Amino acid sequence: MSAAGPSRPPVAVHQFIPTLNPRDATGSHTLLLRDILRGAGWRSEIFAEAIHDDLATEAYKHWTYPEHAAAGDVVIYQFSTSSVVASFLADRSEPLIVDFHNFTAPEHFRGWEPHSEERAARAYDDLVLLARRAELGLADSRFNERDLRRAGYRRTTVIPVLVDYRRVGAPPDRRVAAELAAAKAKGGADLLFVGRIVPSKAQHQLVQALWAYRRLYDPAARLHLVGGSSSFAYLKALREFTAELGLVDAVRITGDVSDAALAAYFGAADAYLSLSAHEGFGVPLVEAMAAGVPVVARRVGAVAETVGDAALLLAGTDPSYVAAALHRVVSDATLRRLLLEAGRRRLPAFGLDAVAPQLVAAVASVAGAPQ
Amino acid sequence: MDKTQAARPGGPSPDPQAYVAQVMAEIEDEVRLRRSSGDLPPKLERELDELFLAHSPVAGRGGDLTEALRMVDAATFVDPVVPVDSQRAAGAVVKKGMRTVLLWYVGWITHQISQFASAVSRALHIVEGRLKELERKVEVQRVPGAGVVEIPAVHRADAWWVAPTVAAVASVPGRIVHAASGDGWLVRLIISAGGDAYGVDPRTNLVEEGVLTVSDLRGEDLVDHLRAVAPAGLGAIVLSGVVDGMAGGERAQLLHLIGATLAPGGVLVLHSLSRAAFDKEDAPFEADLAPGRPLRATTWQRLLDESGYDATVADGPGGADYLVTAVRATVPLPEPTSGR
Repeated sequence: MSAAGPSRPPVAVHQFIPTLNPRDATGSHTLLLRDILRGAGWRSEIFAEAIHDDLATEAYKHWTYPEHAAAGDVVIYQFSTSSVVASFLADRSEPLIVDFHNFTAPEHFRGWEPHSEERAARAYDDLVLLARRAELGLADSRFNERDLRRAGYRRTTVIPVLVDYRRVGAPPDRRVAAELAAAKAKGGADLLFVGRIVPSKAQHQLVQALWAYRRLYDPAARLHLVGGSSSFAYLKALREFTAELGLVDAVRITGDVSDAALAAYFGAADAYLSLSAHEGFGVPLVEAMAAGVPVVARRVGAVAETVGDAALLLAGTDPSYVAAALHRVVSDATLRRLLLEAGRRRLPAFGLDAVAPQLVAAVASVAGAPQ
Repeated sequence: MDKTQAARPGGPSPDPQAYVAQVMAEIEDEVRLRRSSGDLPPKLERELDELFLAHSPVAGRGGDLTEALRMVDAATFVDPVVPVDSQRAAGAVVKKGMRTVLLWYVGWITHQISQFASAVSRALHIVEGRLKELERKVEVQRVPGAGVVEIPAVHRADAWWVAPTVAAVASVPGRIVHAASGDGWLVRLIISAGGDAYGVDPRTNLVEEGVLTVSDLRGEDLVDHLRAVAPAGLGAIVLSGVVDGMAGGERAQLLHLIGATLAPGGVLVLHSLSRAAFDKEDAPFEADLAPGRPLRATTWQRLLDESGYDATVADGPGGADYLVTAVRATVPLPEPTSGR
């Protein structure tokens, strides 16, 4: 085409995702990436199997994509669970990038959520299905990259998930902050975990750890479990267990919260505690670093890779062991300072300024440079 | 490294890696100390897991063997180090002293109990392993149950076998069950003739259609239904489209249940397609999926005679189907031993 010819619309790089949620890591990543792709000069829309009501204007149903498709399109699949979107994309011909955020293994749902177990069991099949079509596999961590390689992805690269960790530094929700401050005035440490209430996040072990911590070190300590639940059976068991241990007043299960409320919880926390049985990256770990909250975490999956030397990493989850670690992090000023300094040093690597250019370059390696 | 020195604000910054390594070592030391002092006995920590699992759906509903064994494993260790907490000032000291004095004795006992529990647990794991292996083998060899095999031309109110069936059962004392009853077309005819009939069919969609005109139609499997019927609780049993594709084991099980639920003097009416009709190109797909093939009418007659019935056979026109009518002896004969 000559320079004087009619101008063509820019090439489109569209994203597909099983479920677009406003407050989960993959949903936030997808929305941020959409803006980055547009900023770089590509057209970009989001297509999803399910769309949260709050984001109804941000995405299309995946099956409407043929109405939007154009020659030259490149598609990115945000892979976090099994979905009909995978087979939909497997049957299409657009160049495909799989952005892999890992998925919870089925055994973590066993005995709790048969439907989730079944869905998780299909996730690996989806990953393998797309391997032959994918021109590039993006992984949040080397841990995830290994899974991509095992599934048959030939070309892979590691780029951290997009985290807008500025949200934890936003002005806190005044009502929540006041409640937390009133509780803190009576004494006791505030322990925090952020994540969906599901068996793989092991919130019951956090409650056990709190029980031991209160018994051994700090009888007034509190635990805040922030995040919605997709496992009713586990949530119910967690509530009953908390009541049986006499910790109803010490454990707050908040459900989904606003960014301002999240900032309030991080603002009040004396330690961030994660005992998850599986983590492909761990966005809240980065948010804790950003909020200046020292991290105690079980060394599992990609956790060590994400936190580096900015956390106290635990080999086990015995309540007395976790409680002793919490006690040190809360009471040892030197340890706190070292962990927080390490977090501050580590943080820029996860900043949008650092990650966005890497993603643009990776996408350009498949789609060509944006116009 | 001296932690208290390092903790002093503004003091020299320690090497982070070395400091964290030292902290981790101190944490482990402290945990050991706490456990041995009885502040938080290991057994109590394990009980927390059991306590939580008790709220899980698996534990609450009997669960699977693996989960149950996990709880057994968690309970195998008997802790000899008893807690020494006390509400009285001197109580803890006294308890601790007693524990120290008695630990050699209690430890010896608990060691043997733990060993016994471990041996039981190990044996249960072996049983679990063998059960799983058996389940795998059985699953491979599992024979699916036969579906209802119906041909519209044969299973209808004006078919040749319907009038003799109604005549054979309508006046028997007690309830009459028809399976597979579909939408209840035969049940209606028997009721019209004065019989106290009801229907059973696993095809719930047909049952839902039929309940508008027949009050007693049940959407369930015949075998499950007969298991719930009181002994000798039925006056007559009418089977159509049920036994045609049954495998040997399923057929034997059904005959056993019929024998248990049909009253002495009761009537069993059995309608089946012939093998030729079953294997025809236009036979319904359930015939292809069935694990067995229809018996010959005379074979049924022989089987039922051996089981204490007085059976007669009528062949349908063109040899497409047949009807077996059997009256159960008033005094049941001993169970046949042929294993069929």
